[in-house]
Amino acid sequence: MIAGTASVNAPLPALRFSHLAELVRNSSARHADRTAFTTCMPNGMHGSLSFRQVDRLSDAFAAYLREVLGVKAGARIALQTPNGLAFPVVAFGVFKAGCVLVNTNPLYTPAEMEHQLRDSGAEVLVIVDLFANKLEGILERTALRKVVVAEVTQFFSPVPRAVIRAVMKVWNRVLLPVRVPHDRLAQALAQGEAAARAKAGVLATYVQGQGLDTLAALQYTGGTTGVSKGAMLTHGNLLANLEQAYAMGCSHIEEGRECVLTALPLYHIFAFQFNLLCFYAAGGRNILVPNPRPVQNLQRAFDNYPITWVSGVNTLFNALLNEEWFTAFPPKHLKAAVAGGAALQHAVAERWRRVTGTAIAEGYGLTEASPVVCFNPIAGTPRADSIGIPVPGTEVRLVDDAGHPVAAGAAGELVVRGPQVMQGYWQRPQDSAQSLREGWLHTGDIAVMDADGYYRIVDRKKDMILVSGFNVYPNEVEDVIAGMDEVLEVAVIGVPDAQTGEAVRAFVVPQGACTAEAVRAYCKRYLTDYKVPRSVEFRRELPKTPVGKILRKALRAGGAG
Amino acid sequence: MLTELETRLLGVMMMLIMLGMGASLTFKDFRIAFRKPQGILVGLLCQYGIMPFLAYVLAVALGLPPPLAAGLILMGCMPGGTTSNIFTYFSKGVLALSIMMTICSTLVAVALVPVLLEFYSGLRGLPSEYKIPAGNVAQILVVLVVPTLIGIFLRKWNPNVGATIELVGGLLGVVVILFLIVTWVPRNHVLLATTPASAYAAAIGVGVIGMLLGYWLARGLRQDARRARTIALETGIQNGPLGVLIVVLTFEGEMQQNVLLIPVLYSLFIVLTSSAVTLWFRRTTTREDLARDQAKVPTAPAGVQAGKT
Repeated sequence: MIAGTASVNAPLPALRFSHLAELVRNSSARHADRTAFTTCMPNGMHGSLSFRQVDRLSDAFAAYLREVLGVKAGARIALQTPNGLAFPVVAFGVFKAGCVLVNTNPLYTPAEMEHQLRDSGAEVLVIVDLFANKLEGILERTALRKVVVAEVTQFFSPVPRAVIRAVMKVWNRVLLPVRVPHDRLAQALAQGEAAARAKAGVLATYVQGQGLDTLAALQYTGGTTGVSKGAMLTHGNLLANLEQAYAMGCSHIEEGRECVLTALPLYHIFAFQFNLLCFYAAGGRNILVPNPRPVQNLQRAFDNYPITWVSGVNTLFNALLNEEWFTAFPPKHLKAAVAGGAALQHAVAERWRRVTGTAIAEGYGLTEASPVVCFNPIAGTPRADSIGIPVPGTEVRLVDDAGHPVAAGAAGELVVRGPQVMQGYWQRPQDSAQSLREGWLHTGDIAVMDADGYYRIVDRKKDMILVSGFNVYPNEVEDVIAGMDEVLEVAVIGVPDAQTGEAVRAFVVPQGACTAEAVRAYCKRYLTDYKVPRSVEFRRELPKTPVGKILRKALRAGGAG
Repeated sequence: MLTELETRLLGVMMMLIMLGMGASLTFKDFRIAFRKPQGILVGLLCQYGIMPFLAYVLAVALGLPPPLAAGLILMGCMPGGTTSNIFTYFSKGVLALSIMMTICSTLVAVALVPVLLEFYSGLRGLPSEYKIPAGNVAQILVVLVVPTLIGIFLRKWNPNVGATIELVGGLLGVVVILFLIVTWVPRNHVLLATTPASAYAAAIGVGVIGMLLGYWLARGLRQDARRARTIALETGIQNGPLGVLIVVLTFEGEMQQNVLLIPVLYSLFIVLTSSAVTLWFRRTTTREDLARDQAKVPTAPAGVQAGKT
């Protein structure tokens, strides 16, 4: 290991569990009567499950899979729902059944669904009723033997459930009859419960012989870059990362006392690890928001629950800070906010600190690392524009294109080795070999390390813009433009240019009056000439992934012409 | 005339509507609204400055007989109706402003409506038997504030109950108007057929002209176009069911029948006129959004060549 370009922080804390099923059972027993999950709808209607209920229902789902459907250990079970009470019940049930969870984005098109279902070889799919009809026409081309239909209002009391479903059906017209053969989740759970009762003691046998090295989840990634691949995450990967993430935040987590806002989708690895696993293990309460857009949908959650933690991405924090109800009455009980997924902009971090009195700790991770690699320790003062230090038990290095460590302070591709790093991509040995070299995961992100060992992400390797031979990192330009009062959101890409090879183009969502000239003039105050956008386009909104990452790829595809 | 049962039913529905309105609110909403009070103040000015005066002018200009004039002035003095919020939503207006205007005008109504009613009735020289006693109006309004407050607390106590009531209250606003159509119109088709055109003109005009004046005043007071459109809808749309309820609780027999004519006609027609206006506003807003977009996209990076590379 070469000083200045690599570091390993602290040793990995001992793992508390050897299987995710053990985590669920252990925490459920310790916190049985506490509320584990609450789904909060935009109008304030809600439904909740206690730790005890989650344990019982996920047992029932495990028994349904193994006894009623007869699937074997290691079978892939896909879950495709927005945030809601069905999510933890099914996900934990899959782990308890000794099966492999395949988190699936509910907004996928039928073609994307087909790819993921076929690639993973999923045998069972639990899908939210809203989107179940997307299965028509692709079902027969998958290996699915059973479709189970869940609801956003799953486990709500009858009246709110009826009201919300009536509104969705009559008013929004989104609730169509499901035309593919299916079981309802409620029926499935009833059958599972009966089966488990008939065979006492059978539940414990499902995970016998499994351990840290057993595959727990196929987490698909690369949907924004190319063909979607399943990162193979073991129980050990996920549980190690849980301890690693916990080590960075435990100073601000009181067992059994926390209330975390889960506005990011749980099918995404960030919320899955951080909100679902970490806070379930800590006896915390998850406030699940099925759809955080428009951000107004979060108002009732902030009104009605004493939220102590928020996880989000830059766009979510930015949106909240533009809501008067949020800035006038920031959450009183908030202890910390964590950001990941995309670069956190300076202006957003600074306003958040002023408005809420708490800092946003920025972290860095990727699906292939379950996901956390680096984090700002919550206990210290999180450093602006830094992703912090490697989490315990993690080695990080910066390397050049040939794979050699770069000089101290220089920019290089961030590579990582640690217990959280995936086993490879599901059935893609070539991609796996390219991504994992001698145990090092190559992230494709360019970073630099400061003298004190804190890392900064400069940008995605492939997003870098080459202007007349000079490197321009879109993040840097975006960060400057985001500081303008007249700018709501911004994204920067490179476009082909006859003179300079590539030129910088900014896409701006304005608030109030804003001109291209003003943006360029502002940039000139802070940036060298070649970094100043050659052109500025105004948009009403920017294309984003479901987690809220801005899709530069889509801008390149649609905006360069 | 409405039967005893129908009157009671109307009262109960009105209570539920107010309960629903309360359940859509928190005390925080008020505090937020008063941080930037201009919009609400402009709205209140339109509501209680324009509308009663407009009703009075129409009553005089159209030479309405006392019972019709009494009904018209009453409608002019009513606070904003909850249905305006639904129309604002569909016209892409500023929903928060609409809701706050409805609430503020309703709260202010307790003090202001009796005074205005007294003033304009006097100005028009209505015979005393057609004057609606101020105490009566105040009493009804106070009674309605109670369910609003209960609604606020219900929402705080249990969000599920709060949200259900909010939804039911919103729907009832429409249901009450349907209820009036079903119960009142068939029994009074003779009356409707013999009603003079001036009564129709007054009932329709007070809403439509109110919207126009509301828009102009709001623009004059430097509200942007979208807020002005919201204020216009809010100004024109009065709380029809409340007007009906006040008449029903104040008058009896033939007199009730006659005074009720304008409030009922207003309630029926405002749904139609607001729907038309909403469609128009919606199209205007969309067109403006598009225009704003296009204005800002530079067609060519002209003048951008200054940037050296």
